[in-house]
Amino acid sequence: MTHSDDVDHLAECSACRQRFAANVVPFDPAARRNREREFTSLAGKLERERDDSSDVVARYLRDTPTEEWSRLAEMPDLRNNAALEQMSEEVRRRLHRKPREALAIANLSASIAESLAPSQYPSVVLAQLRGTAWKDRASTLRYLARYDEALEAAERGEEALAPFAALEHDRAVIRLVKAITLGQLERFEEARAIFSECRQVFQEYGDTKRYVQAGMAEAGSLYEADRIDDSRTLWLDLLPHAIAEGDVETQARIHNNVGYCEIRRDEFGSANIHFSEAVAGFTDLGYTSEVARTERGAGLVLIARGQITSGFARLRDARRAFTVAGMTEDAGLCGLNIAAVLIERGDRNAARAIAQDVIDEFTAAGMNERAISAVIALRDAIDVDDATAETVNTVHAVVESLRESVYDAAN
Amino acid sequence: MAPEAMDDAPEDVRTIPLPCRVDENVFARIYEENCGVLVSVAVRKFQVPAGDAEALAHDVLLSYLRRADEIRDLHHWLIGAICNASRYYWRQRGRNVEQLDTDVAAARPDPRSSNVLTDLPNSIALEEVLERMPPRWARILRLRYLEGYAIKELAELEGVTSKYMQKLVAKCIQRAQEIFNGMRDKKDRDQ
Repeated sequence: MTHSDDVDHLAECSACRQRFAANVVPFDPAARRNREREFTSLAGKLERERDDSSDVVARYLRDTPTEEWSRLAEMPDLRNNAALEQMSEEVRRRLHRKPREALAIANLSASIAESLAPSQYPSVVLAQLRGTAWKDRASTLRYLARYDEALEAAERGEEALAPFAALEHDRAVIRLVKAITLGQLERFEEARAIFSECRQVFQEYGDTKRYVQAGMAEAGSLYEADRIDDSRTLWLDLLPHAIAEGDVETQARIHNNVGYCEIRRDEFGSANIHFSEAVAGFTDLGYTSEVARTERGAGLVLIARGQITSGFARLRDARRAFTVAGMTEDAGLCGLNIAAVLIERGDRNAARAIAQDVIDEFTAAGMNERAISAVIALRDAIDVDDATAETVNTVHAVVESLRESVYDAAN
Repeated sequence: MAPEAMDDAPEDVRTIPLPCRVDENVFARIYEENCGVLVSVAVRKFQVPAGDAEALAHDVLLSYLRRADEIRDLHHWLIGAICNASRYYWRQRGRNVEQLDTDVAAARPDPRSSNVLTDLPNSIALEEVLERMPPRWARILRLRYLEGYAIKELAELEGVTSKYMQKLVAKCIQRAQEIFNGMRDKKDRDQ
């Protein structure tokens, strides 16, 4: 940790805390007692609200049509901290699965937080509520690729917190969302500076989870900026923290990313070790799709860097893993990646065989006819010796675009 | 790019229920045990005026209540919070006050074994340098070299260990040297 030794020590040693605080700063005992009363009564109030409101938000959301959720802002039993906490949790739950619903809830939450009576909570707590609500709105807008609005929402959150020096942690949480959004707008320099600030704040608060989260994002932005050694160093620095947290998923992601760095540094042996660590981690967690994606990503990058044998082995492993996970489309796409390599190497028979396998798998799974036709056309082109790796890549792009259009329609 | 690098949205850490339901005595104890320390950190380490420090410490403690369920190490969190709050306080007032970097400080020799101290007062306008330093650092140098406080006495006064105070003094001297060098360079340029 970056605290000076004595500050770290104060956090750890109760005797030194007492010594440090003793007889140094004169204070008004009556004023302090009043503040203590405010603190304890707020603690009691927040807990009572939590006890009285268990699953109130889930109930309202269940019993109200989605298009009427905005009206819920008027419900008295949703206008408190506990309900807002539950809304934040609902946003988190829906973010990946139903981002539009998540946005509707975040809007509801912002609307309630902004209209709470100033007397309901101390001003610093009201600011926290508002900051969290705007942060949730920023997250969902970012997820929906509405980046400019996401930045606006994050800035509203920052404005809510700005008068309060004590809310640096809350501020860092919002700024982390802002920085990720900036990264997605490819404003990497701005993003990186904020990631770094946030990381330092989280470290000082002892918030290891968010410290690692900010560090992962910062390392990603360094990678984007081609600062491969710096990004690798940062990811490796984060690894012990993820291990200390027992966060296997993050460990696996870090290994995966370090693997990419090692490839860029032409350290293929080390890259393979890190990819294998990532695969092992995802396998332990039962994240079969992540195992396959890691293998495929590693395979493609290795091949692109001329490491054909090891890359090819990774692609084969990836295809097998996709198949085991029942991800027929991804398995097929991976098969096409393999076919492209085989054609490059002049092994047309093997390329044809794998194209036929993909056709059979797609057909058995009842997949999009146009996707199947595209692969049949590829197989036929291989038969007449008219297929190049570029042909395979075109078919790959067609199959992938068909999948994306299906997803778009579903959303 | 590495696919895992920036995909994840920062999500709030899942909350872990407190081991027991609310007991206002527990919170009263938290307040009593920590308020004084937080005020002291703000006043002594960051030179925040006592009245403002009291308000900062109170806000830190209030803000803790919303995050109580997710905080694993209360003292670490509170100390981190007051340090950050104090810095923000001064940023808002246009001054940067940073905690000392002990790694850098450790690399500095003990001032008693160096000739820096004998050279420094002879070669610079000491007050001019001190005026440009953060208030806490200037005060430490004044006490040490103008008023003759021993390291041990300074350590007791500041509520830190002697070892740390030794590093702190070395760091203050380093900063004084930097300021002095900057002043000298500027003077050279002006000439």
